Amino acid sequence: MITLSVSSVFAYLLFPGGLFAVLFGLLLLSMERITVARFQGRVGPPIYQNIFDIIKLRIKEVLIPEDVTNKLMFCIAPVFGFVGMMTAIFILPVSGVYGGTGASSDLIVLIYLMALPAVSHILGGSASGSTYAAISVSREVILMFAYEISFIIVLFTVALAAGAGEGALFSLKGIVDYQVIHGSFITDIKMIPAFLAFVIFMLATLEVPPFHIAENDGDVMKGYLMEYSGMPLALFEITHALKLVVLITVLQVFFMPGIAGAGIIVNLLWFIGKSASVVVCIAFIHASMPSFRVDQAFKFLMIVPILLSLMSLGMVLFL
Amino acid sequence: MFSKFATKSPWLFRINTGSCNGCDVELATTALIPRFDVERLGCKYTGSPKHADIVLVTGPITVRSEDYLIRMLDEIPEPKVVVAIGICPISGGIYRDSYSIRGPLDKYVEVDVNVSGCPIRPQSILDGVAQAIVIWKDKIKQFHEA
Repeated sequence: MITLSVSSVFAYLLFPGGLFAVLFGLLLLSMERITVARFQGRVGPPIYQNIFDIIKLRIKEVLIPEDVTNKLMFCIAPVFGFVGMMTAIFILPVSGVYGGTGASSDLIVLIYLMALPAVSHILGGSASGSTYAAISVSREVILMFAYEISFIIVLFTVALAAGAGEGALFSLKGIVDYQVIHGSFITDIKMIPAFLAFVIFMLATLEVPPFHIAENDGDVMKGYLMEYSGMPLALFEITHALKLVVLITVLQVFFMPGIAGAGIIVNLLWFIGKSASVVVCIAFIHASMPSFRVDQAFKFLMIVPILLSLMSLGMVLFL
Repeated sequence: MFSKFATKSPWLFRINTGSCNGCDVELATTALIPRFDVERLGCKYTGSPKHADIVLVTGPITVRSEDYLIRMLDEIPEPKVVVAIGICPISGGIYRDSYSIRGPLDKYVEVDVNVSGCPIRPQSILDGVAQAIVIWKDKIKQFHEA
């Protein structure tokens, strides 16, 4: 049960949601850029680059094209994804640091919240009236159909595994507590296929290569962001940063919520360290992969992650 | 206060107005290849003119590209900096006085930095971008006072 108190407002606006998550996400994004640059033999931008990008976009002029198909939707579309991600950060527990909201079925809420950034891309892109945005939105919808299925199967697998034979456990805090006592799921052979499926889902949601089909600079020129400038564009960038933090936190909640010690500071540093190493792995995939075509990506996402997650589901149910 | 931080993140956009491709090859392979990395200045190539801060124009502005150039320059939000890359947008270069040329660039827009050469050297592009960032800082201040 969520009650409105000072501590929950603090958690929503400052830590671990809100300000902390935005800054942390932006730093992780620049870290990804630096790592990609190092893999390519370049120096890369400084670590605070993405924060400066946001400040820069704040002072730029906001242009609204005359031929937008729906002006209201064009202006409010960025807000959907931003609010969804803020709420997702708020309900997610960080093991040993923050307990989440403790509601009994917040895993179900997470399914809906995780879809919101893609929905805001689709709404904003299709309202902008640009041809590039139209192509990119159609690609995003196709991909979303494919990757959401595997995410939901992984989610139920984790819920069943944490329930330990007594039905599914749909509480994020319960899942974390179960793993802290019984060992992380990443060390469990039954959950390895689900882990791989979740990593593929993560790459597809973050739109890093090989899944950056919807916003590839090479052919659709950032796609749904084509007509955005100034503050709305900055809001999309912030949403992207929050999405990275949310996905990494979900990964840690589902598969590796182990705690490092008793203190909050130690666990926070452990959380940051784990997140940074996940980002380095993402950057390695980013730097070494070419892009899929949209039909290839659809086939891949319909076959590989779904089979992997079903394999895990079968093992959890019957072994 | 913000203008100081904002100059650390100039996003580049390039417009080809009928260039022979020499300058484009230098541009496209200069900014992001390992040897001359402008991402360390915070620069990033953008696909959309609406995200751009510094516009790099190549080519002598042919009859066919004239309308698109004007439209593109309109779509770039203020404050912006225009950089003419190569001798063609500055004076017409070897295409000067040709029947299909509508240049030079300063007929259409106030050019802030001229980087000449045929084709330009990568070092002079980097120098041009660095000078454009200095001019851009003043423009941000003027934009906020206005």
